[in-house]
Amino acid sequence: MHPNLLEITDLKTHFFTEGGVVPAVDGVSLQIRRGGALGLLGESGCGKSVTGFSILRLVRPPGEIVGGAIRYYGRDTINGEELTALDARSEELRQLRGAEIAMIFQEPMTSLDPLFSVGDQIMEAILYHQDVSKAEARKIALEMLDKARMPQPAQVINQYPHQLSGGMRQRVMIAMALSCEPQLLIADEPTTALDVTTEAQILELMRELQDELGMAILFITHDLGVIAEMAEEVAVMYLGKVVERSDIQSLFAEPQHPYTRALMQSIPKVGQKAPGRLEAIRGMVPSQRSIPSGCPFHPRCASFIADVCDVKTPRLREIKPGHSVSCFLYEDGGGINGA
Amino acid sequence: MAPDAAKAVLEVQNLKKYYPLSAGLLRREVGYVKAVDDISFTIPPRKTLGLVGESGCGKTTAAHTIMRGREPTGGTVIFHDRQLGAVDLAKADKDTLFQVRRNMQMIFQDPQSSLNPRMTLLDIIGEPLIIYKIAKGAELVDRVALLLQHVGLRPEYMRRFPHAFSGGQRQRIGIARALALNPQFIIADEPTSALDVSIQAQTLNLLQDLQDEFSLSYLFIAHDLSVVEHISDFVAVMYVGKIVERADTERLYHRPKHPYTEALLSSIPRPDPAIQKRRVPIRGELPNPANPPTGCYFHPRCPYAEAICAEEEPPLEEIVPGHVAACHFADRLSLRGVNDF
Ligand SMILES: Nc1ncnc2c1ncn2[C@@H]1O[C@H](COP(=O)(O)OP(=O)(O)OP(=O)(O)O)[C@@H](O)[C@H]1O
Ligand SMILES: Nc1ncnc2c1ncn2[C@@H]1O[C@H](COP(=O)(O)OP(=O)(O)O)[C@@H](O)[C@H]1O
Ligand code: SF4
Ligand code: SF4
Ligand SMILES: [Mg+2]
Ligand SMILES: [Mg+2]
Repeated sequence: MHPNLLEITDLKTHFFTEGGVVPAVDGVSLQIRRGGALGLLGESGCGKSVTGFSILRLVRPPGEIVGGAIRYYGRDTINGEELTALDARSEELRQLRGAEIAMIFQEPMTSLDPLFSVGDQIMEAILYHQDVSKAEARKIALEMLDKARMPQPAQVINQYPHQLSGGMRQRVMIAMALSCEPQLLIADEPTTALDVTTEAQILELMRELQDELGMAILFITHDLGVIAEMAEEVAVMYLGKVVERSDIQSLFAEPQHPYTRALMQSIPKVGQKAPGRLEAIRGMVPSQRSIPSGCPFHPRCASFIADVCDVKTPRLREIKPGHSVSCFLYEDGGGINGA
Repeated sequence: MAPDAAKAVLEVQNLKKYYPLSAGLLRREVGYVKAVDDISFTIPPRKTLGLVGESGCGKTTAAHTIMRGREPTGGTVIFHDRQLGAVDLAKADKDTLFQVRRNMQMIFQDPQSSLNPRMTLLDIIGEPLIIYKIAKGAELVDRVALLLQHVGLRPEYMRRFPHAFSGGQRQRIGIARALALNPQFIIADEPTSALDVSIQAQTLNLLQDLQDEFSLSYLFIAHDLSVVEHISDFVAVMYVGKIVERADTERLYHRPKHPYTEALLSSIPRPDPAIQKRRVPIRGELPNPANPPTGCYFHPRCPYAEAICAEEEPPLEEIVPGHVAACHFADRLSLRGVNDF
């Protein structure tokens, strides 16, 4: 059996808009281990969601996967299958979505149909993928709501989305996503719209369910606290590229990329109130339509090396086992030693 | 808050805002949503009070009611105006309100929707100066240029429209507008919630710099407990329309006296994978404010609740000077602070 459940290699997903090409995902490589938890961390617009949509082949025109490979080893566990080669409307892909790979989103209201009851929506997902009777589907739906720790599931199953709080809606989404026992769950900022107490409940629920069901999670977030709680491994994205990849401990103990370091320094650390200012990153994330030359982070980087970082593009390379960085500071001939 | 603090800028006493609930064909009034239910606090000059609590607990309603954007149901809001002296905003007439509003301003969460897309930065930031007949013509342009510089935007941008700016820059435009009249006091309602992490730090730094430079006082409303700790001198915790605990920041985060505060602190996702958290299990969800629980509103979710909690509402009592909490067992429970989980 292949150790990885999913392997993304040099993925490029671009949007061909009237204003020009937006390279939303531009050469991303990731591996998700069976049952593992990979975090995708980055500020808004850096390409996290488009990466998630690309896996499920949900990118719509003017967006298009223009390069790279997405290999899924969930059904053919030895050779895998190439998801980019499938027709986005094919039966194969439709069977894959939900049954093998499920996704939950930041705002559950947009992915729930206001006209149908919670039960109908979960049952529909079950009936689509499993050969069961309506009565059985309802029973599974109830079980899933219960698994999602929904208070009073027997009552909620007959209610409509607008009658539920944000946290309860996210529980419905989780129940629906897990109803077919997928091998991979893509969770795109699932707690960003929730209160801190509800967020803590949902994160704990997701961890428990991951243990219980043995599924892998791709956890997308901009929140350093959330990623620290949820991920075993992390890829940090900036402007469509992965700039650092590491296991979670080493990322937080020894962040290497200047962007990752700056991000960690810029947030207030709760419980360690210090007087004075925060260490902010200068400038802002540039538009994806005008990506800076060389290292895309160079206009904001405190360690910028003139005539190197603005000219050449650094590549992601392993600097110690399991920890890769894309920065000239870590390259011979380009960085501290060479320049 | 020390009661003898050198004068206050704002003293809110027993402020209430009830919304009528109606039902049936005749829209009969059947009760109230007590969105803000008897809250009190004081903000000294040049200080920041943080206001935290779950969504729907009444933070924004409190802010709007203080500004008299909504009519209060009861209570007083004493504002110590630089020109007019002490004014009770809850009862002030239109003229007085107009005068006072020069000195108190608001910054909003969503810089996108709070800026008129058809106005240039000059129009947006200059508008209060025109309304209060403070500047026009060339002087107005100079004033706006200076304000833009204060918030770190280039004066050349003055003739552009808000859509040409990023979220963080739009928040700066909103801040420049709030500063235009040189106010004493600013209410910031989730000013950084819509911003990226790297822009959040810039905005918080800006707010702190401006506080020093212009001797501003802030009421700072936010969900993010790390941000609130960083920016606030004092913090008040709201739950279903009421303040359940209030203290200086250090005490509130490290020696909380209300179980709800403890639960909030234990829920914060910590950016440190080495921390193995032992959370205080907080059950369930925020109750419906139209139909709150009996006794202590927190009792259905509280891990320390006893029989009395469902029957009697705990009063807000002072534990040490400046630290108040509303829990029957505030002096008996030993609760965990933010670093004890
Ligand atoms: N115009 C209104 N009519 C009736 N009820 C209202 C009205 N405005 C607010 N409420 C209710 O008052 C309560 C407090 O709302 P408010 O907007 O102040 O919450 P908040 O603490 O600012 O929440 P958030 O964190 O989501 O911004 C809520 O229960 C809300 O539904
Ligand atoms: N339908 C679309 N058309 C054009 N550009 C898009 C579209 N969807 C996303 N993008 C662009 O792709 C980039 C990455 O977006 P996204 O993956 O949503 O970011 P995030 O990291 O916040 O999830 C952004 O620059 C965004 O503007
Ligand atoms: S390559 Fe250069 S500009 Fe880019 S992060 Fe490294 S030091 Fe900074
Ligand atoms: S009064 Fe009772 S229910 Fe309320 S917070 Fe205190 S212990 Fe908990
Ligand atoms: Mg996204
Ligand atoms: Mg609000």
